[in-house]
Order: sequence, then structure tokens, then C-alpha cells
Amino acid sequence: MEFDFAVIGDNWRFLAYGVWITILLSAVSGFASLAAGLVIALLRLYGPGWLRVPIVLYIDSMRAIPVLVVLVWTFFALPIVAGVTMSPFTAALIGLTVHLAAYAAEIVRAGIESVRPGQTRAALALGMSRAQVVRRILLPQAIVRMLPAFGSLLSITIKDTAIASVIAVPELMRQSETVAGQSFQPIEVFSFAMLLYFLMLFPVTRGVDRFYRRVAHLGRS
Amino acid sequence: MTLDWSVVWQHRDALLAGTATTFLLTIATMAIAIPCGIVVAVLRLYAWHPVRAVATGYVELFRNLPLILVVYWAFYVLPILTGLGLSPLATGLAALSLNVTAYNAETFRAGINSIRRGQVEAAMALGMTRAQALRRVIVPQALRRILPVLASTWVSLFKDTSLVSVIAVTELAYVSMQVRAQTFRVLEMLTAMAVLYWLLGYPQAKLVDWMQRRMKVTE
Repeated sequence: MEFDFAVIGDNWRFLAYGVWITILLSAVSGFASLAAGLVIALLRLYGPGWLRVPIVLYIDSMRAIPVLVVLVWTFFALPIVAGVTMSPFTAALIGLTVHLAAYAAEIVRAGIESVRPGQTRAALALGMSRAQVVRRILLPQAIVRMLPAFGSLLSITIKDTAIASVIAVPELMRQSETVAGQSFQPIEVFSFAMLLYFLMLFPVTRGVDRFYRRVAHLGRS
Repeated sequence: MTLDWSVVWQHRDALLAGTATTFLLTIATMAIAIPCGIVVAVLRLYAWHPVRAVATGYVELFRNLPLILVVYWAFYVLPILTGLGLSPLATGLAALSLNVTAYNAETFRAGINSIRRGQVEAAMALGMTRAQALRRVIVPQALRRILPVLASTWVSLFKDTSLVSVIAVTELAYVSMQVRAQTFRVLEMLTAMAVLYWLLGYPQAKLVDWMQRRMKVTE
């Protein structure tokens, strides 16, 4: 069997566009799910009591339903329910964010709960409001402790964007499929895509670990 | 918009068969990935250096690749590498096993590493061999830390089996989307698929929480 990697050179622009969409989708949905996760976790911990049940139900449901199912439902079924049409990219962004925000919320909650309750009591005794306690005492320590978990969430986000290929988002997986299909050289193309994904993911996991080791002392108390 | 939910009931046999395949894939993958994960973890920890490097490379590679890409890759590459015409089910099983073995190896390695060195040294000072120390001292303690992680890997795997639908393995996701394509009942079938996954996955996720609470190790 012979390999001919010229197919990569011939289609490099097409594949590079896929890399760009993968990075864009990962960055936007990663950021959106962190922000949403923070809000959800704070509502769960400090919000009104009746909100707790629906939030826990939402989080556990997202842990039970595959991303593929969430993405396919968002792209094909949501427009029927909501009466709107949306691009694959928008659908993927919504689906991924709804799915990953649940995981982010769990990370934030675990981080906040890891700060000893004595600190909250001490801060309240000093006359701080609840909001001040969260902002000045809990979050600064919790955020540092959450870093490793956020790092793995980011790498999960990048990996999950590949599933958006199923709803025709032109990210790296989808572009590779197209090139593989047109050139009849799936082995070369998919092996090259593996290399690209590894090059995107490995520095993220390693970089976060290294950064965490440098700042870990800020989270200790 | 008129909805016709009877389409779900009409295709109950296909959906049930899909559900069975989903469970079969999950069970078979774990049955392969647990022993293989142990082997890879032990190779990574105790083997000759070059072998160690290969095992580490394998784990790092597969933990840093999207599973769906591994599925496509296996679909096109395995028949050429092995010279066999593998069924979609066997290909999907191979791809899932490659992926989960890497995760399990990392779980086992972390579990073994979490037991302090001094315990092995003490066991060996008492005259146990390395293998005896591993079997009698490390493994029983490490299991408490490993089982909850394996359980959450199980739940992830259960969900990830949906990805082999892209190579036409007739599991729950594939069957649902096939029925959708045949009947054009998009909303009904996709919602039924989500609800079925929810019904099956939710108790499993809750069971994992319970296990993690029960087996919590406090030092």
C-alpha cells in the first residue's frame, strides 16, 4: 500500500479553514459555557430555593444525554419548536454551550464548596455582605483551584466540536471528511486530521497543567 | 404544525433493538478496555523504558483525539491494516475500545500511584515479591479510588456509543435517525431519542454519584 500526502498540500486552504472554525467554535462555546456555568452554580448555591430542583435536574440531564443527541436535536428539532432557522454554526454553539455549561457549573460548585466554611463565617462576621464574601473571599481562591478542571473541560470542548460535523458545521472533522471523500484517500486525510487535533489538544492540557503549578499557591488557604 | 407521536410506538421494535445494541456496545467495550487498561497501566509503570514510552505515547495520543475522528479512522484504516472486512459493529467496538483503554489506563495508573511508596517498601521488607505487594497491598486499596472513576467512565462511554452511528452501527442514535429519515417525523423521533437516552442515562449518572459518595477516601 502506498501513501500520497500530496492531497494535504492540494487542500491545505480548505483544511486550514476547518482548523479556524474548530478554534473559533471551541473558544466561543468554551467561554460561553464557563460564563453560564458560573451563573448556574451561583444560582444553585445562593439563589432562591425553588430554583435548586430545576437546576439539578438540568445538570443531571446533561450528564445523561449524549452531545450528539443534543446537537442533532438543536439543529433539526429546535427550529420546528421555536419557528426559527439557524445556521449549523449557531446550532452547534447553542447545543455545545447548553451541554457544557452543566459540567462547568459542577466544577464551579465544587471549587466554591472546597473553600472552608469558616472563611465565609469569618467574612460575614467582619460585616461583609454575601455578595462581597463570594466576590472577595470565595471566588479568588476557588478560581485557582478550578483551573485543572477547567483545563480538561476546554479539551473536552475542543473534542466535542468534532461532533458538530454531524450537523455540517465546516470545522476540521467535517472538512477532513469532505476531502477524504473527494480524494478517495481517507487514510492520509484522517491521519493528518489526527495529527492536527493532537497538536491543538496536547498543548492545551499541558499548558493548563503548567500554569496551574505556577499559580497553585494562590489557591491555598 | 401537527405532531404524530404514534410513529415512536410503531417503531418500538427497532428502537428496542437499537437500545440493546447500545448496551451491548457499552458492556463489550468495558469488558475489553478494563483488562487492556490494566495491562497498559502496568506497562507504563513497571516495564522496560522503551515499552513504557510506547504505552505513554498511546495513552496521550488517544486522550487527545476526538472519538468521532477515531471512529472514522478505524472505519477506513482497520480493514487495510488487518486485511479483514470488519462489520460496522466490530469497527465501532474497536474504536471505542482503543479510546476507553487509554482512559482506563490513566485511571489505573493514578490509582496505583495514589498508594504511598512506603507501603510497597514495607511489603517487600516483609519478604513479599513485587507481584505479591501489588496484588495484596496496592490493588485492594487502589480499587476504592478506581471504581468510582471507572463508573463515571462507564456513563461517558454509554453516551459516546452514539458516535458510532456515523459508521452505520445500528444502535439507538442511528436507528432513531433512520426512522426520522424514513417518516419525516423529525421532531417526534429526535425528541424520542433524547428522552430514551435520558431515561437510560439518568439512573446511571445517579448511581455514579452514589458510588462516589460511598467510596469517598478521606485521608
